Amino acid sequence: MSTFLLRRPIPNLLCSPYRSTAPRIGPGLHRSLRKLTMLSALVGVGTLSTVALAYSAEVSGQVRGAWVDRQVADAGPLAQANQLQAGSATVEPSAATVQAELRASGNAGPFTLHAVATVQARRPQGGTTVSDGRLNEAYASGKALGWQWSAGKKVVSWDVGYGFRPNDMVQQEVRRALASEALTGNPMLMAEHFDADTAWSLVWVNPLEAQAETQPRSGNNEAALAARVYRRAGAVDWHSFARQGEHTGTSVGVAASWVASDAIELHASVRAYQHVNSMRSTNTGTGLSATNPWQATRSGPGQQLLVGGSWTHESQIGLMVEAWHDDTALSDAQWSHWTARNQALPLWLNRRIPASAVAGNLAWQGNAFGASSNLRQDNVFVRLSWQHERWQTALDVLYHPADQGRITTASVQWGGDRIKLEAGFRTYDGPQSAIARQLPVQRQGYGVCTWAF
Amino acid sequence: MKHFYKTLAALAVAATTATPALAQDITTLLKDADRYRTSAENLQVDTQVTVYNTDGSQDKERRYTVFAQSDRKSLVLMQSPVEKGQKVLMLADDFWLLMPNTQRPMRITPMQKLLGDASTGDIATMNWAGDYTGTVVGEEPCASPNNDNNNNKATCLHLSLQANRKGVTYQRIELWIGKTRHEPVRADLFVQSDKLAKQARFVMDKPTNPTTVSEMVLVDQLSNKKETRIKYLARKERTVPAEWLNPMFLARNPSLE
Repeated sequence: MSTFLLRRPIPNLLCSPYRSTAPRIGPGLHRSLRKLTMLSALVGVGTLSTVALAYSAEVSGQVRGAWVDRQVADAGPLAQANQLQAGSATVEPSAATVQAELRASGNAGPFTLHAVATVQARRPQGGTTVSDGRLNEAYASGKALGWQWSAGKKVVSWDVGYGFRPNDMVQQEVRRALASEALTGNPMLMAEHFDADTAWSLVWVNPLEAQAETQPRSGNNEAALAARVYRRAGAVDWHSFARQGEHTGTSVGVAASWVASDAIELHASVRAYQHVNSMRSTNTGTGLSATNPWQATRSGPGQQLLVGGSWTHESQIGLMVEAWHDDTALSDAQWSHWTARNQALPLWLNRRIPASAVAGNLAWQGNAFGASSNLRQDNVFVRLSWQHERWQTALDVLYHPADQGRITTASVQWGGDRIKLEAGFRTYDGPQSAIARQLPVQRQGYGVCTWAF
Repeated sequence: MKHFYKTLAALAVAATTATPALAQDITTLLKDADRYRTSAENLQVDTQVTVYNTDGSQDKERRYTVFAQSDRKSLVLMQSPVEKGQKVLMLADDFWLLMPNTQRPMRITPMQKLLGDASTGDIATMNWAGDYTGTVVGEEPCASPNNDNNNNKATCLHLSLQANRKGVTYQRIELWIGKTRHEPVRADLFVQSDKLAKQARFVMDKPTNPTTVSEMVLVDQLSNKKETRIKYLARKERTVPAEWLNPMFLARNPSLE
């Protein structure tokens, strides 16, 4: 039985169902690499912890247990594919995860060393437990010639938005994740200069990728030079950004955050790019393809724009509203073609075409969900939160005006001195034709228990 | 009309010959009171915040390192395991927050500054003279009328303070200070809407000859009546590099730089 692999994972749906299981390497080598990564994570943190302790520096961490429950959809192209031929499309199952995260920082002569590593064991429902590890961060920093220097693997997050960050040019963090966990940084060389009101940041990210003889890298794996200039002007923070990617070329952006009153903050961010690495289908008609028509491509130019604001009441109720446009997402016309193809593909069964071929073509349609960090180009996001003593609750809705699709998330969090409990629920609603309703999982629930030390 | 001018003149004479304390400059009184919390203009203060339930049981405990600098600049580093890596920067009326899992400094409003386990304003604000103006209401008993168990028979000066800038945590403070040494004794703290948010009591190191505030006890009056004890574990004079007070520097690790 063949499985029709997706070309890319879907970053905008983290903790959402749809994750590619598409390794490009053999399972044996994959296991070896995973063991090597876990070993290096453990050795890295162990070494740095020892160094940190030797220099009386800081060691901290957390252990977390999580359960994510996913309810698979009974409609949409992937559900159809699996109905035609079970296992045609891989949908990430419900899973239990136990993670241990260790942070260590210390001084070694003129340098500051910092490392974060995570080891985890994950057991999917009906599957076997898989253990792996990753080095989230490992870098050295120091000061010379009036600049702060950092080298190694580091998290560098930019921009001002909450639901979407057009100018997060280095980290390109996945937003609106169900439950937060430690970010994984990128290899980089970084120089920063600070004075009272201004900060300059220059980053050479993924420097080793620049000479690599590999296929063009996408997203935050691409070798790039990035710069940010920050300026504080009273109640307004100004940020300007520039990035030169090896494959995606030039992009420039500007962002601002303004505290308009005691309770109101307004922000905006805009980015213009020359190119973006994306996924596009070479078959937008109704014909069957023999191979996956979704190919990595370079598109552009285009723009991304975000405006938003937050209001907080003294009763600790907060309201955030954001709206954004993202040219990297598939256009309304492309989604229309996609929908038409989904409807046309099952008709091939009437022409005595093998079900496996139709199922495969339907499964490949799932690549559209990972074409961009946003499903639709135009988005409206509203988040209502309330904090009361140890409790935090939040309800947010991501709305797609183009098709009235909605992704609604409710969450509650309780924080003790060392223990934090989180639980939440996410559902995908709207008309049957909405793209959000085509996703392979329509409901997710989660619970996380974190113990910090 | 002649009677009116006579009355006015009498009032003027009465005002100028009132008790010396009442005639004192409010700024001088506040500076005197501030000195019991800030021994120098630039300080590093380690604090422990413990919250107690109404039945006296401990609810939670947090630790903070505060770099309180001149010109109303403060950097607060959260040190408790559950908050480790969280930082708040306060530059006069402007505030930023860094959450450890994002590494992205975020501009926040004065109202957002009030969120969290303890108001960072309670921990980091130590300068009444720079933030408030007001009047001397008069001499009153130091003991709170609401506190039946308080045996303090001493007399205090009652100061009524109004914030002279928008970013402070409390817009109005009714403050009682010692009549002789001007040490802070107790305070009623009012938020923007003029609701009484907290009542504060200041515990001095030496009750008979106070030199410094060792603990501040806050009782919530808005919702839960819980008691928060802010204990000053260590104070030392320290001027931090200017770059530490740049919002974008929050993503670095100032305690190790």
